[in-house]
Amino acid sequence: MLTKRQNLMETIKGGKPDRFVKQYEFMNFIMEAPMGAMVGPGQTIVNDWGITFTWPEGQLGGFPVHDDEHKVLKDITEWRKFVKAPSAIYPEERWAAAIEHANAIDRNEEFATCFVAPGIFEMTHHLMSMEDALMALYEEPEDMHDLIDYLVEYELAYAKELIDHLHPDCIFHHDDWGSQRSSFVSPEMFEEFFLPAYKKIYGFYKANGVELIVHHSDSYAANLVPYMIEMGIDIWQGVMTTNNVPELIKKYGGQISFMGDIDSGVIDFPGWTPEIIFEKTKEACERCGKLYFIPGASHGLNFGCFPGVYESNDEAIDKMSKEMF
Amino acid sequence: MSKIEEVKVLVETGKSKKVAAAVQEALDAGVKAQDILDAMVASMGVVGDKFSAGEIFVPEMLIAAKAMSKGVEVLKPHMAGDSASSLGTCVIGTVAGDLHDIGKNLVSMMIESAGFTIVDLGVDVPADKFVEAIKANENVTLVACSGLLTTTMPALKEAVQTIKASGLDVKVIVGGAPVTPEYAAEIGADGYAPDAGSAAVKAKEIVA
Repeated sequence: MLTKRQNLMETIKGGKPDRFVKQYEFMNFIMEAPMGAMVGPGQTIVNDWGITFTWPEGQLGGFPVHDDEHKVLKDITEWRKFVKAPSAIYPEERWAAAIEHANAIDRNEEFATCFVAPGIFEMTHHLMSMEDALMALYEEPEDMHDLIDYLVEYELAYAKELIDHLHPDCIFHHDDWGSQRSSFVSPEMFEEFFLPAYKKIYGFYKANGVELIVHHSDSYAANLVPYMIEMGIDIWQGVMTTNNVPELIKKYGGQISFMGDIDSGVIDFPGWTPEIIFEKTKEACERCGKLYFIPGASHGLNFGCFPGVYESNDEAIDKMSKEMF
Repeated sequence: MSKIEEVKVLVETGKSKKVAAAVQEALDAGVKAQDILDAMVASMGVVGDKFSAGEIFVPEMLIAAKAMSKGVEVLKPHMAGDSASSLGTCVIGTVAGDLHDIGKNLVSMMIESAGFTIVDLGVDVPADKFVEAIKANENVTLVACSGLLTTTMPALKEAVQTIKASGLDVKVIVGGAPVTPEYAAEIGADGYAPDAGSAAVKAKEIVA
């Protein structure tokens, strides 16, 4: 039996996996790595960039607050005055637990994985609201290019720290690039603004020992796949059913793999049942096949929003492995 | 190109810095303010259709809506005293517990561009607030509510049913990623739209 890591590599290289890769099993997340403040359930915080986030009790995530009082950047032409990157350098003692975790990972079995969020696109709209950020791409493109360069510099500085301390062999990187039905920006705009940014970031990781880039965008983004390949993404996690995943596999399999095709909204809700989860998992496995595809919910980490969902999804994938392998 | 055609093109292509001058030139050339407004509404209809068809993306829609609002500013002093929209007022918001405002804001822009006056209640709006807003504002013909999370679908249902139970004569349109036409019908909504462009079309259709 292949290890989780070997089975993943066989799957994404078009080899002979002996079972479906089971969601996030190949990624051992080193969540102890220091990173900026993240909002938790029921909290309102101001993070290291000055962005206010709130997470209403009982809801599924946090949101940046963008009223006039809280928006960090109200005028893109003044970004140099208002956007101040925090230090990417953390005291050594903050790394101790992460280093211990990284050293304990059997890298023949799993990928030592660092989690990075938010992404560059997300940062632009966290700072200034989605509407302002998207309009600025048209109205003040030079400032947006400069702001993105500044955000990339910060990411690269943080990436260096991750590499120096943990030597990860996988990066799981968030940046949502679309809604359920379309990418937020056109492919042309994406190519102009975000492709160069990510070529630098993912290129840096790959030049420094990272073998696998897993990018999360739980959205439609089929029109951006050629750019994902160009920037060095190995696995697009979060691919929703609206993307026609079997078609993407047929077209791009071997250059990139796809993780998802089970929309979280249809399995991860208060009334979930194992039967619903199995039905959706079976559909995904049967239509996408054994290669270049990892079945799993589109949600962007290794847990469900409702207790039992993630584990039930694992069980459904096990059943499908028995049926199809 | 006629002055009115020029305005249409500038709105469709989101040239917000040029629209005001073009509208003024059209007025100076003797084009009626209402005709210019109608042309801009038609342009936004084209923008909405292109968005629904995947030909354009959110930034293009945003800059078109901004261009239209710049044009409307120039028109306002030239419109009759009762220039309030003939389609009435639309109260809009995301339902209780849901803070996703991007889709709601796009729908708001497109519905406004279609000729409604907008009362935006923002995000995380309890069901009763929708009813209060209908009563507090003039000529409310439409309520638009959305939820992006599966967890807020019960709140969407509560909002629709509270509005309907109030007995007020308004139509209710719903949307959001997990919402389907079937769910919209099940909870008693009058309409459903999958995106902002379609929302404007559906809004006009159900209040007609």
